[in-house]
Amino acid sequence: MVALLGLLLACGPAQVVVQGQFPAPLIEPLPLTLGVWYGDDFAGHEFFDESKSRQESSWIVSTGAAQVQMWDTLLAGMFTRVVQLQTRPRPGQPTPGVDAVFIPHVEELQYAIPAHTNVKVYEIWMRYRFDLLNASGGAIAEWGMTSYGKTPTAFLQSDQDAVNLAAVMALRDAGANFAANFTRVPAIAQWLDEKGILPATEAP
Amino acid sequence: MRGCIRTLLCGAGLSLLGGCVTATVDEQVYNAPTAGIGDDSVVILGRRHASDYETEPDFVRCVGDYIQSGDNSITVIDELEFLNAVYPWFEPRTAPLHPLDIERLLKQKPVAEKMAALRVEYMIWLDGSTERTGGSGSMTCSLGGCFGFGTWGHDANYEATIWDFTDKAEVGHVNTSASGQSYMPAVIVPIPIIAPVQGTACDGLGQQLLQFLSSEH
Repeated sequence: MVALLGLLLACGPAQVVVQGQFPAPLIEPLPLTLGVWYGDDFAGHEFFDESKSRQESSWIVSTGAAQVQMWDTLLAGMFTRVVQLQTRPRPGQPTPGVDAVFIPHVEELQYAIPAHTNVKVYEIWMRYRFDLLNASGGAIAEWGMTSYGKTPTAFLQSDQDAVNLAAVMALRDAGANFAANFTRVPAIAQWLDEKGILPATEAP
Repeated sequence: MRGCIRTLLCGAGLSLLGGCVTATVDEQVYNAPTAGIGDDSVVILGRRHASDYETEPDFVRCVGDYIQSGDNSITVIDELEFLNAVYPWFEPRTAPLHPLDIERLLKQKPVAEKMAALRVEYMIWLDGSTERTGGSGSMTCSLGGCFGFGTWGHDANYEATIWDFTDKAEVGHVNTSASGQSYMPAVIVPIPIIAPVQGTACDGLGQQLLQFLSSEH
């Protein structure tokens, strides 16, 4: 009975709930109060890939909780104050006490494991879209960004552990890309300029 | 200074259930410290820009451990600890590719303060990987045990580039390559005879870096 149950479980999709630690950024915070709103599609983000053959397994990669954890840590280090919003801001419904509202979206996630590519690395690639709104709900900027993470194969490491590590690397890369380029987005640079906020010296 | 060391670890290794390994270390040093690095620190980081391989974190750790065990007065900062402390400026996307990039990085006050607190004097970049190079043989296993023979090879190629953090200059370069053949004969019980290819590359690179950094070697 136990063996049969084990066999049935082994036939299910490979599931990864991404878990990791994300460091605070070493950066001079911008003197702004940022409102943040995570939609259900973002906070509960999950990727499902159905197997294309009997030799492959289906995959479910849940990144939502790790996304929120990473972005909370990153934004708290990038801005002097961050406020979590309970409702999505809309035009005509001002959000008091904030300079801007940030809304992230995961548009796409792709993964590759050595069995797919014959290369001994596990890879995760993500495409984001961001909205930055003013306190009145009007658009300041809308822009896209990609992130990539990979991890090498290791002795006694399961596919799930390796995909988790690649996802953590992709989230770290998302944070690095965002932190390094936020003030370089033309519409944001213009908005910061209008507010009289000069971004700190950019790193390489 | 340019040195070349070639080692062959085979006969003795086989008797201790280790396969054959050959290793080559090539070293170029331009400006080694004359009295070691004193109270300052060294950080060893893996380059992770290539798409088809990744410098293994455990190899980076192995080289750091080799240096620290060879001279315990040298402070080697753990790679992940350093990457977290200076996040996001040494991630694959943002890491400086040339010593002169450090100047621009240090213009950011929090980064300059952190580097000063960590007392980083040398930054060593490791780039490379250990790859499996095919195999042959066959083995069948049943309730009565396993019978057969398998063999496979590994190639390790790594390059270490040493940056002087104070002078913002590259001051040394070490290459190492190692290759070896592992065997697995099986008569009822499989007996793996593993060639320590990555470990040999780690020792070769670690020894040269230890000589560079330590006043005792």
